[in-house]
Amino acid sequence: MKHLFRILYGCLFLSIVAGFLVHIYLHPHIYFFWEALPIFSALYGFIGCIVIIIGSKAVGRYWLQREEDYYEKSERMQGEDT
Amino acid sequence: MIEWFHPGLIYILGAPLIPVLRGSVKKAYLLLLPIIAFINLLFMSSGVFLSRGKTWSLPFLGYDLFLGQIDTLSTVFAYVFVIASFCMMLYAIHIKEDGQHVAAYLYVGSTLGVVFAGDLFTLFFFWEVMAWSSLYLIWYRRKKAAYQAGFRYILVHFFGGICLLGGILIHLQTTGSIAFEAFHWGWEMSRDNLASNLILLAFLINAAVPPLHAWLTDAYPEATVTGAVFLTAFTTKSAIYVLIRGFPGVELLIWLGAIMAVYGVVFAVLENDIRRLLAYHIISQVGYMISGVGMGVIGTAAGEMGINGAVAHAFSHILYKALLFMGAGAVLEVTGRSKLTELGGLYKYMPITFHLYMVGAYSISGFPLFNGFVSKTMVVQASAMWHLPTVWLMLEGASIGTFLHTGLKLPWGTWFAREGPVCEAKEPPKNMLAAMGITAFLCILLGVYPKILYNLLPYPVHYEPYTFSHVATISQLLLFTFVAFWLLRRMLHGEPTITLDTDWFYRIAGNGVIWFCEKPLMTFATFIDMKVLSLARFFVWVSRNPAVALGIQKEEVKLIGKRLFSSPERVEEYERGLEEQKRRYPGELPRLTLGASVFLILLSLFLYLILYLLIVV
Repeated sequence: MKHLFRILYGCLFLSIVAGFLVHIYLHPHIYFFWEALPIFSALYGFIGCIVIIIGSKAVGRYWLQREEDYYEKSERMQGEDT
Repeated sequence: MIEWFHPGLIYILGAPLIPVLRGSVKKAYLLLLPIIAFINLLFMSSGVFLSRGKTWSLPFLGYDLFLGQIDTLSTVFAYVFVIASFCMMLYAIHIKEDGQHVAAYLYVGSTLGVVFAGDLFTLFFFWEVMAWSSLYLIWYRRKKAAYQAGFRYILVHFFGGICLLGGILIHLQTTGSIAFEAFHWGWEMSRDNLASNLILLAFLINAAVPPLHAWLTDAYPEATVTGAVFLTAFTTKSAIYVLIRGFPGVELLIWLGAIMAVYGVVFAVLENDIRRLLAYHIISQVGYMISGVGMGVIGTAAGEMGINGAVAHAFSHILYKALLFMGAGAVLEVTGRSKLTELGGLYKYMPITFHLYMVGAYSISGFPLFNGFVSKTMVVQASAMWHLPTVWLMLEGASIGTFLHTGLKLPWGTWFAREGPVCEAKEPPKNMLAAMGITAFLCILLGVYPKILYNLLPYPVHYEPYTFSHVATISQLLLFTFVAFWLLRRMLHGEPTITLDTDWFYRIAGNGVIWFCEKPLMTFATFIDMKVLSLARFFVWVSRNPAVALGIQKEEVKLIGKRLFSSPERVEEYERGLEEQKRRYPGELPRLTLGASVFLILLSLFLYLILYLLIVV
């Protein structure tokens, strides 16, 4: 496990370095202003992931999530009514 | 000599033979059909059979039906459908029930029918066959939930089919043509736009665009293990095909697609059932394609990139999504479980399944060297070329979520997450593993050598996926997504809940409508009914002896007055008198003299004359 994490840290570091190298040597065509930041994708990935998890969980908790037998229950209530 | 044979008919005409055959002959036959269809396509592409641009037609009701309209767009879709059907059938070959195979091949054949349809009648015909043949892949699960979900599935598709038929008929009336080509589309009120909007609505239902998507996530996870694998590929991707034909460059689609891409991701976070989680990712991935179609203004470089991206992504998606569903299906097959809360630690028993699944997961996430990378980036690139910052951010954001769920949360929760395995398990049957292996191989092949795919696309490809810049960007994005996942992984444990989606409207609110009809509306109706009947009874009573009846009514009014002003004893006496009168009613009928009778008849004729004159003059 420790070994795997060392590889992971290495990859993280390499990807950041690669981002800088691309910007310094290759000058890629930039479509949007944020692409000028060499580590934009890293930030977007990290923050985006956190926002997706927390945002979706909040939507679920306060609005959309129900017990598993939600539909069966409402069906049974229908059955009793008629 | 046969000029051309429709690849779809190979499946449709081949299907009825399946129940006749036995044992290994049947298995060989099932695998042979896609191979024949593939060879047919190869000859077609090289121009041996009916070459590109030519059509194969049949006369029908004074119109020519074009069963075979062949161009680069239809060929590339046909290729992927045929290849996918081979892998899927290999995955399902151990199933003993012939009906499942017949339904699957009717489904594949009709989808190919849609792909080669050159006119709207042919399109509609195969469109409907596609809807009901796929229904059996759900019903063969033979569970109550599957029957119910299947009913909802087919009702939504019938609605879509009727929209399509209505649109086609109005289109035929306004333009006089049944050719299936790009429609004139706009928001203004006109018959032409009504027709194209109805057709677009039908296409969007099959493409599972929110809020018309719930049939997909409702029904696919209830289908049989092998049926679900077939379902993932054909309905939504044939919808992408018809959208490219009918509505390329419609701006609305860019936004619908971008919203879809994010929508699927948000719901996937909350999902506990692994196959439903993957189904939400179909919606998300189809969003990329729809967005690409929307950007596909023909004749512009960015537009051609959009269309190429949509087609390439459909091609890749069919393969990796089939692989993902095969992996999830394998878990369901051997454990009977599909909920994250009931799974975990299965790596010990199913390492091969895990690794093959992960190939699909890397592909859908767009890792370099996997096929999702070479196709998804084309759509994202098209959005950059159009300078659509919001769409770009939404599509990139959806990539994060895709990796998070399909690549991290699902495999983590299924194969790891716990100290030990939750239940006994083993690797699935060999044919399932073989099918997954072939599909995984294709995913990697197209990722490593994208030229095969790019050469099939409808427009020349001026795009190089493997630049240093692209690889660095995607690596940063995915690696840091992993970091965030690792930090928050405890939040991502499955929860034993379901998530409300737009099917709530027809499952709960729809029940409300039925309740409203059965209860308040019925009560009101009975009330009105009673009132009308009692009025009628009163008239019958009066007409027995109108003169006396009037008298009784007059007495009753008087009684009300007496109740207010007279002493109780007198009122009681009066009431008794009235009761007596009512009891004797109708009593002796008055006899009229002959003269009076004649007078009354003449009077009524006279009144009738006046009425008549008033109306006529």
